[in-house]
Amino acid sequence: MIVLTTILQILIFPGFLFASFIGLLLAGIDRKVLARMQHRIGPPIIQPMYDFFKLCGKETIVPAAANRHVYMLAPWASLCSLIVMCLFIPVGGLTFFSGNADLIIIIYLLTIPAVCLIIGGSSSGSPYAAVGISREMVTMIAYELPLIIVFLAIARVVGRGELVFSIKTVAEYQIANGALVSHIALIPAAIAFLLIIPAEVGTQPFDTAEAETEICEGPLVEYSGKPLALFKLNSSLKMFIMSALFTTLFIGVVYTGNVIADVVIFVAICCLVTIICMTLVHAVTARLKIEHLFKFYWTVVAGIALVSLILVWAGL
Amino acid sequence: MMYAHFPVIAVMGLFLGAFLVEIFGTKNKYIRNTIVMIFVLLAAVLTFALIKPVMVNGEIITYWMGSWEPVEGWAIGIGYEVDALGLFFGLFCAATFVLSAIYSFRYMDSDDHLGHYYTLFLMLCGGVLGLVFTGDLFNMFIMVEIITFASAALAAFRNYKFGALEAGFKYLVIGSVGSSMILFGVALIYLQTHTLNIAQIGNEMAGNLTPVTILALGLLIMGFSVKAFIFPFHTPVVDSYATAPAPISMMFSGTVNKIGVLGLIRVLYQMFRVMDKEAMQMTLVVIGMATMFIAVTCALAQHRLKRLLAYHSISQVGYVIMAIGLATPLGVTGGLFHAMNHTVFKGLLFLCAGAVFYAAGTTNMDKLGGLSKKMPLTCACFIVGAFAISGIPPFNGFASKWMIYLAAYNKGMETGNFLYIAATIVAVVTSVMTLASFIKVTQTVFFGQLKATNDYIRDVPLSMRIPMWIGSALCIFLGVGYNFVNKTILNPAMNAAFSAERYFDVMMGDPAAASAGTNYTINLSVWNPILWLVLFAIVFAAVAIAIITTKKTVGKVMLSGSDNQDPDGKYAVFFSGERSQYSHVVGSDMFWGFRKNFSKYFDVFHKFHNGNVNDYATYCVVGGIIITIIVFIFVR
Repeated sequence: MIVLTTILQILIFPGFLFASFIGLLLAGIDRKVLARMQHRIGPPIIQPMYDFFKLCGKETIVPAAANRHVYMLAPWASLCSLIVMCLFIPVGGLTFFSGNADLIIIIYLLTIPAVCLIIGGSSSGSPYAAVGISREMVTMIAYELPLIIVFLAIARVVGRGELVFSIKTVAEYQIANGALVSHIALIPAAIAFLLIIPAEVGTQPFDTAEAETEICEGPLVEYSGKPLALFKLNSSLKMFIMSALFTTLFIGVVYTGNVIADVVIFVAICCLVTIICMTLVHAVTARLKIEHLFKFYWTVVAGIALVSLILVWAGL
Repeated sequence: MMYAHFPVIAVMGLFLGAFLVEIFGTKNKYIRNTIVMIFVLLAAVLTFALIKPVMVNGEIITYWMGSWEPVEGWAIGIGYEVDALGLFFGLFCAATFVLSAIYSFRYMDSDDHLGHYYTLFLMLCGGVLGLVFTGDLFNMFIMVEIITFASAALAAFRNYKFGALEAGFKYLVIGSVGSSMILFGVALIYLQTHTLNIAQIGNEMAGNLTPVTILALGLLIMGFSVKAFIFPFHTPVVDSYATAPAPISMMFSGTVNKIGVLGLIRVLYQMFRVMDKEAMQMTLVVIGMATMFIAVTCALAQHRLKRLLAYHSISQVGYVIMAIGLATPLGVTGGLFHAMNHTVFKGLLFLCAGAVFYAAGTTNMDKLGGLSKKMPLTCACFIVGAFAISGIPPFNGFASKWMIYLAAYNKGMETGNFLYIAATIVAVVTSVMTLASFIKVTQTVFFGQLKATNDYIRDVPLSMRIPMWIGSALCIFLGVGYNFVNKTILNPAMNAAFSAERYFDVMMGDPAAASAGTNYTINLSVWNPILWLVLFAIVFAAVAIAIITTKKTVGKVMLSGSDNQDPDGKYAVFFSGERSQYSHVVGSDMFWGFRKNFSKYFDVFHKFHNGNVNDYATYCVVGGIIITIIVFIFVR
């Protein structure tokens, strides 16, 4: 029975089906709002879903220079870790796996999709992909430093002598004491986290790794058909997970008493976060060079996060 | 009490084997390999047989050489004492001997003077195991000397290779500096306490530190730091790792630097018992942080595979030093677990590097590429090892690093000291940089396009693949089953490190004391890898369906220059309209964005590692003096 419940959770809610649907929806909203900001009409909101199914029907070509097994397995492994991430997030206050997910485990699960993209791109044997993965890796080093500082700042506020510091603790703390974003010392941390989201998802101006106009989508240059569809899906899933993580960590869950209403409100907040930190930034900026990106994250963003950590440590 | 003889037989067997190989094994390779295998397996079997009495029943095994038992409470003979801590190190060292020996048989096949090689190999094994099991400080020093000289000779074994003799010489000089510091420290301690038995020294000095013993403490920390290759004593070993044959590099990272760690634990926790002093904890944490960060950035700049792996060895030992510096039960557990995991995954990576060298004749990353086509299994093993060392779940490196982060974070929360929070941050960032440099290796060596001149490469023979498979399997098993490992062997080992009194009482003839005192338990059942297994089962089903239903549209292996198999260029790599050509992005060109921002930092460390032995010896002495001063001012 437990196994059956687990499988249902993995496959339907809040796992594969639910998260993919919301993720693709967020991607569609992102494109639509961006188009309106640029005075275009824009595609229909469910365009990413059309794209996904269309790509699934296309032929899958494995280049001669590629290592076939790694090339084919990478998108699946990425999807796998993203679904596990979905189960760790309390969507609408519903907790799965007893809600016990340590924040450090979250950091590490977050790296797996990027690693899969890197390994998959690398295995395709293309020099464009090689340039792309090198940038992706530098981006990862860049945002990991502020990310851990943000998490430690939250941990200092919320953690009270527990061995493991879980998302559940954050949720309970926010129910008791109000949203963390209203905590003055944590406002810089929230800003830093909002700046980390675009780099983690890979949207402009931090999409240096997948620069279409420059290195032909970098790691994805050789991908086609189903694996490409999966990578596009993974990107949308990341969008959902990162905005949901922000919602969980800084805003908390709004309880109305009705489960469905809770979930809808949760998704609406995620949508808002997506528009603020991805669409808006995308519409007004141009792509950064990789060395500027690295410098930006290790000085500006890490600095903001560090301010928060020091304030929290000083007892504010 | 039959068990009491096991440790000494294991150690004596290895030394006996060394002489037998020299007498009988110089001509015939089958006799030689049989002798080596018999004694190495004997040592491993005897060590693993001790799991039941020591780990499960909680006994501490003592053995007095020649039955020179203590007289009126004073130890006069040489004693062996196997507690859970020593056995824990013994277990993975013995396993490393076996894997390394099996790998050596084929890998070293084309070399001359193999009798000498295996003599030195068995001396090294015997020295390591002797140091792990001994309970006598002077005996410990003797074993350190044996290890140093065997290592130096083995590092220079392929003396026709460029830089091999230089590496051996550097190792000898710096190793001797370390050994003489240990000898000086031992002499000072003998002067003060009139005994050489570790347990008794601990008891005599408890709460009774004189200026002379504090000087000895500084010297011993320095000496064992040289053996553990931590910053700033790491400089000579990088060459030795790079020039030694791959199984010996595996022995260096798996056993030789671990005995330095064990020596530090014995000195700090059991002899001087100074780990409750905050200054000592902070010193070790700072040394650990510096080691892990500096070594990993140096690794990012390397062009040769084995030098890169060598820097990672140093960096990972930094984690272990930091963790034991935390001096909390969770920290020590994480540190010990990471020491074991490092032996497993770094051994695996060195064996993969050896396989690349065996097949392609070079480990220069700028000359390789596309080897995953020719050596798919080596590539798979390397990726497992790379993920494990980078701490990607669910491999073993993740479990131990996670414990270390949690321990550092909790220590920071308890003491309110910002240093431990900084340590957590540095540890996480180091881990990502580790991943970066391994991505560089996989991209450069295994993926990309194969050079036409490398078409002759074939995967390595079976006897070299088996140790790699065992290593990969262990990486996954230790990561998924970390709760089991924690209960069975880690917890006793951690408690042994914290119970110096127990160690003393048993040595002085009171076996009942082995279970006295407090016992800590660590319960970390939050991270549940079983979930991953369910998921992977589902994913494998999905992939299988996808592969079965997909038409086979894979191109044939096509090398640059040989065309006409793919007339419309459908399976060729995209080159913006150009004809298919050889183009491979190698390691030195990667991470430009990172290197540019850190160019001044890299310049400094480029000058620091200048290859001059005089300078390296100076770093050692300066580092030792700084440690001694810190110990003098703060630890008293």
